[in-house]
Amino acid sequence: MAELARSLRLYVLLQRASARSAMQYRLNSVIGVLSGAVWQGAGFAFIWVVMHTFPSLAGWGLAEIAFLYGLRLTAHALAMIPMMSVHDIQWVVRNGEFDRFLLRPLNPLVQLMGNRVGLGQVGDLLVGVTLLAVAGGNVPVDWDAWLVAYCVVAVAGGALIEAAFFLGLSSLSLRMVDTTALRVFVDDVFSRFGSYPMKVFGGVTEWLLTFVLPVAFVAYVPSSVVLGKLDASWALAAPLLGVVLIAVAYLVWRRQLDHYQSAGH
Amino acid sequence: MMRIGFRLALAYRSNIVMTCVTLVAQVFLLRMIWTSVYGARPAAAGLTLDALLAYLTLANLQSFATHTVVSRTIHERIRSGTVFFDLARPPGYLRQMAAFQVGNTFGGLLLLAPVVPVVLLVGSITAPVNGPGYVVTLVLGYVIAVQLALLISLIGFWTMEIGAISLLYRLVSQFFAGTMVPLAFFPGFLGVLAGALPFQYLGYVPAAIYVGHITDVAGPIMVELAWIAGLWGLLALTWSRAHRRVVIQGG
Amino acid sequence: MIRAEGLTKVFRRPRTFPGPLGALRTLVTRQYVEKTAVDGVSFTIDEGEVIGYLGLNGAGKSTTIKMLTGILTPTSGTVRVGGLVPWRDRSANARNVGVVFGQRSQLWWDLPLIESLRLVGSLYDVPAARFETSLKKLRDLLGLDDFLDTPVRQLSLGQRMRGDLAAAVLYEPPLLYLDEPTVGLDVLAKDAVREFIVEVNRTGRTTVILTTHDLADVEALCKRIILIDRGKVLFDGAIDALVDQPRRLVVLLEPEPEEVRGVRRDAEGRYVFDIRGDLPGMIAAISAEHTIRDLSIEEPDLESVIKGIYSR
Repeated sequence: MAELARSLRLYVLLQRASARSAMQYRLNSVIGVLSGAVWQGAGFAFIWVVMHTFPSLAGWGLAEIAFLYGLRLTAHALAMIPMMSVHDIQWVVRNGEFDRFLLRPLNPLVQLMGNRVGLGQVGDLLVGVTLLAVAGGNVPVDWDAWLVAYCVVAVAGGALIEAAFFLGLSSLSLRMVDTTALRVFVDDVFSRFGSYPMKVFGGVTEWLLTFVLPVAFVAYVPSSVVLGKLDASWALAAPLLGVVLIAVAYLVWRRQLDHYQSAGH
Repeated sequence: MMRIGFRLALAYRSNIVMTCVTLVAQVFLLRMIWTSVYGARPAAAGLTLDALLAYLTLANLQSFATHTVVSRTIHERIRSGTVFFDLARPPGYLRQMAAFQVGNTFGGLLLLAPVVPVVLLVGSITAPVNGPGYVVTLVLGYVIAVQLALLISLIGFWTMEIGAISLLYRLVSQFFAGTMVPLAFFPGFLGVLAGALPFQYLGYVPAAIYVGHITDVAGPIMVELAWIAGLWGLLALTWSRAHRRVVIQGG
Repeated sequence: MIRAEGLTKVFRRPRTFPGPLGALRTLVTRQYVEKTAVDGVSFTIDEGEVIGYLGLNGAGKSTTIKMLTGILTPTSGTVRVGGLVPWRDRSANARNVGVVFGQRSQLWWDLPLIESLRLVGSLYDVPAARFETSLKKLRDLLGLDDFLDTPVRQLSLGQRMRGDLAAAVLYEPPLLYLDEPTVGLDVLAKDAVREFIVEVNRTGRTTVILTTHDLADVEALCKRIILIDRGKVLFDGAIDALVDQPRRLVVLLEPEPEEVRGVRRDAEGRYVFDIRGDLPGMIAAISAEHTIRDLSIEEPDLESVIKGIYSR
């Protein structure tokens, strides 16, 4: 427990150092945050235009879809703020930086996560939280403290699911198997399909997105519970899945780390 | 330059393969969403579901095929200073860059070819209502796309930083080209704005002519020609300013 | 301090395939390429020693160091560093060692040097008071004051190396690995680095393991060297023993005496003597009978000795 607190404190310290480094290039940083926000805003504009003509998408209204979209985006941003620098792993291993992480008395994964600050994801977070707040006020839900707390847990669970896939695939790079393209693809599937009610896809796709790549559990299942479209017994499915998946991903990481072969000997 | 652009497109083929996968996913997603919102409705905004799906498939293929990389290339060459080699060559700078883009597009098309059947299968397609009209408006639309991309990239001669601007441009142009939603569905003010902008010729107009949603072809062609002439003048003017600026900076 | 026995590392890499689906193919086919980088290396290093660990490029130097520091797990053999197994007790071992890679800085590129040092201090849990005394000592010893507030990317190579050395010894590790610490430095900067190493070793009883291609570093710093070639130890012992070879005296005499039996003459007709004992006595003896017109003495040097060993 003390080690966990120490890791967290040092992660924050490293992340602050990365942020200070990034602020040396102020204009680029502002652009980074803005482009993240604009990109996600444009994604939502599509939904808004479609739902102007068609008030219902698989039985969901505009406010409900916006809530779903916001929940997914917030989870995505929380997953990617630490995972963004894990994305660089191929490069970090190849240029020998990873060796240095192994020479310091701190979990190398924590050092890798603190290596760079995900500015575009900060933009995502801004849009996500805004959507969640605005849509939350417009959906027919009686909010109470418990429900708000559940939303926080659900966002965390969704973030863990996304992060788990990202971490698991990234750890293969420790053995010089480049999974960058695969990670981009998985991230794309989460982003593209995760923001819609799964019923839209139906059949095989719905099944694949629920049980193979559990996109449905990131935001669709928890939003359905909040919006009263799904029985409350499903409520904890997503967060629990998140915890299980991240634990598995971390085991994969540890196992790959044992086989780490360092570049250039 | 045309050959360089062509080769570059082939060199980054792993990139393009990923983009193809993305394209298929995108077309699939749009099909599912639109099928779902149409439900039992036979038609909306004058489009049947079949026509709409064919439209979306085409518009996305077009958007992929006419995607311009020239802004990024020019930007990199300005930053690294290799732009001076381009300026030193006898053919005009803009003509070189346009040739680069055309070559790149051909390279992209070559790689796109095997994916087209998949996309058509995942999306859907109908027989063209007006084939020749589609081709003519699409080619003219492509000319406009290249002109706009060149115009955007010339901004780089002033700001030296263009990444955000070209990203913004891509988002805005794709949205107003009607790649995901036909312009016919744009509500009120947004519809007026989209109708006034040239981006519709990159996506909406040709695809809508193909599925017979737009029947008048002569009108759009006239407007496209007017845009091409206007943009050509604007490009020439901007270039003469940018060129003077380069000369001053270089000295 | 360090005891290595039969240390062996075989690299087994999955065969990689190019192309977008290459990653997938690599995962599926499970074909491997094998290469033995270190082959049964054994040695013992005592506390306070300064060891030169030498070898040609690709001889297995870095791989050995990576196993000693816990970056790599050996295929077979054992290592104990200060009683710990480096790759198993990675974190604990990390606190005992400082590592400098001459080619690769551990400092934060865009931040002022002082911030990098503070971060390193935090990562190694150095208490604030100890950090300040340690920093003060290093500022004097390495002359950091001129560039403590400069972003690392703006430092000269010599300044950056001094910063890296400071970061490596900030938490006072008893063991220091230096991988080509003088590469690319000018003569003054090289001297500064060497003086620092001598100082750290003298005052802190720090054990130093040095890999370098600059034999002047070795001559200035090490009493003992370990020579490795193609993964195996070629020589392990004192430099003095390695260089214990006769000095060579070459004289041109006038007038030219008749051929003396048993003494070698070179192409220009000079006499060549290999002498182990009393050199001045020998010169005196020669000059008693002949006029010496030209004289040169060739000391055996590490470089030619090592070249000799490799070419064997």
